[in-house]
Amino acid sequence: MEHRIPVVSKREKRFYTIFFAVLLTFFAVATLLTQYNPFALLFQGGAFWEFLTQDFLPPTLKDPAGILSAILTTVALAISATSCALVLGFVAAVFASPRTSIFPRAGKVLRALVTLVRNIPSLIWAFILFSALGIGTGVAFVALTISSFAFMTRTFIEVIDELADSSLEALTAAGANFPQKVVHAVLPNCLMDFIEWYLYSMELNIRSSTIVGMVGGGGIGLVLFTYIKSFNYPAAAGIILIIAVLVIGVDRLMAYTRKKVLNEA
Amino acid sequence: MNQSSQQLAVQPSRWGFPQARERSGGKIPVKAPGQDRVLKIFFGTCAVLSVASFLFLEVDWLKLLSRVPNMGESFVKLFTFDFTGFSSTLSAFGESVSMTVLATIYSAVLGILFGAFMSRNLVKNRLAVGALSAAFTFVRAVPSVVWVLLVLVCLGFGPATGIVGLSVHSIAFFAKAYAQSFDDVGGDVVEALTVVGANRLQIFFRGILPAALSSIVAWFSLRVETNFSESTVLGMVGAGGIGFVISSNIQNYRYGRAGVAIVMVFLFAYLVETGFSKMKRAYLMDH
Repeated sequence: MEHRIPVVSKREKRFYTIFFAVLLTFFAVATLLTQYNPFALLFQGGAFWEFLTQDFLPPTLKDPAGILSAILTTVALAISATSCALVLGFVAAVFASPRTSIFPRAGKVLRALVTLVRNIPSLIWAFILFSALGIGTGVAFVALTISSFAFMTRTFIEVIDELADSSLEALTAAGANFPQKVVHAVLPNCLMDFIEWYLYSMELNIRSSTIVGMVGGGGIGLVLFTYIKSFNYPAAAGIILIIAVLVIGVDRLMAYTRKKVLNEA
Repeated sequence: MNQSSQQLAVQPSRWGFPQARERSGGKIPVKAPGQDRVLKIFFGTCAVLSVASFLFLEVDWLKLLSRVPNMGESFVKLFTFDFTGFSSTLSAFGESVSMTVLATIYSAVLGILFGAFMSRNLVKNRLAVGALSAAFTFVRAVPSVVWVLLVLVCLGFGPATGIVGLSVHSIAFFAKAYAQSFDDVGGDVVEALTVVGANRLQIFFRGILPAALSSIVAWFSLRVETNFSESTVLGMVGAGGIGFVISSNIQNYRYGRAGVAIVMVFLFAYLVETGFSKMKRAYLMDH
């Protein structure tokens, strides 16, 4: 005589059953393919600790001036690429969104292009660009801009698509042309969402510019990569701490800005 | 002229509109000065910082532009597919997908565990929660490629390196996301179960976990996408998988082969993304 009140509806329950069954299948196949055994790693844990405590710690700092300029390069890369992508992404989104576009067909092509760019990881783009244009911060800037441009265009299109019909319809009825619609309907209604995504992209790009730096973009990522490749682990540990502080600091700053700009406004 | 403008200004008041609205040439004020000031400061700062950092980079744009034709050439070469050595590309692709799946599953399980220890609904000791979440904040702040590089030093070349390296960052991500999901379940569920005498384990498994299941699946699917893109990147810093195929082929000027691998990455990422978004819309959005 046990009565149970189901917490999850029947339809959802079936979905979860299928989901976990598929997951289990993938898990089994992947384990077979890679022969990965996490418990075997536990027995190697000693070696890991030894590496961590003897080779890695304590972190040291060498050449603080060089590191500072490397940090500045990384930050400058992130800021300039994000801002450039913001402007390009806004223009592209206005033309690509079916709600506002004056060239619907071109908009479709643009959306397909953005999907293509977005689904290929940014480091692969960086690699293609480095092989064609040579290494350097300029190319890293282009690579970062391309991937955040794709990201922002996609999110901006979604924001514009969710824009309530009323304001665009009212402007169309009053005979507003394309730039008027953009300035008086899209901008005031979507500005806060655009800022929100801009700040989020900034957080992402601080991380990305570190990674793109590793494969040839310069900045703090390259410094870290050189230290690791030359087995200078204590110095690498110092750089890792600096990267962590940088990323956390930027996250905090963005959270503060978000609160200031989006709440007060 | 003067008279006519006066007439115009008077007209709206016939329908009882307040006269004050008419002041600035018939415009209805839609702006709040306080908001405008904050936005002006924000955009001003952003513009100054952007221009300053752009100049700081000191990029030789002429040289860069002169190489743009190479770019087109590279793309043509990438898209003239070369299917020789396709079986090794396929097995590397399988390795990347396997690394993604295993890393995400193992870290989701551990993430649920740590998330439970970080949830305010379950653990009352603020100090322990704070210490745990600070540690995970640090782990998340370091890009996962860096973790992979460090694991590479310890474990050497192989799929285990990729899985462990991806897991480090993913566990920290899941711990935070799931702790948040468990907190979002709300006090009423916990209270109801506490009242009937459930212990903490029962509260977690009977109350919180079922209620948070949809967000667990949502975060999981998001992380599968991220981990796949990370796993393709691993090869470029020296771990295995499809990334190694891409980078080594590009370095050896076998663009056709790299092109095939890149298209595979794109197709898989695209399928996963559309699949998950369809799944979410069909099953998870309706509550």
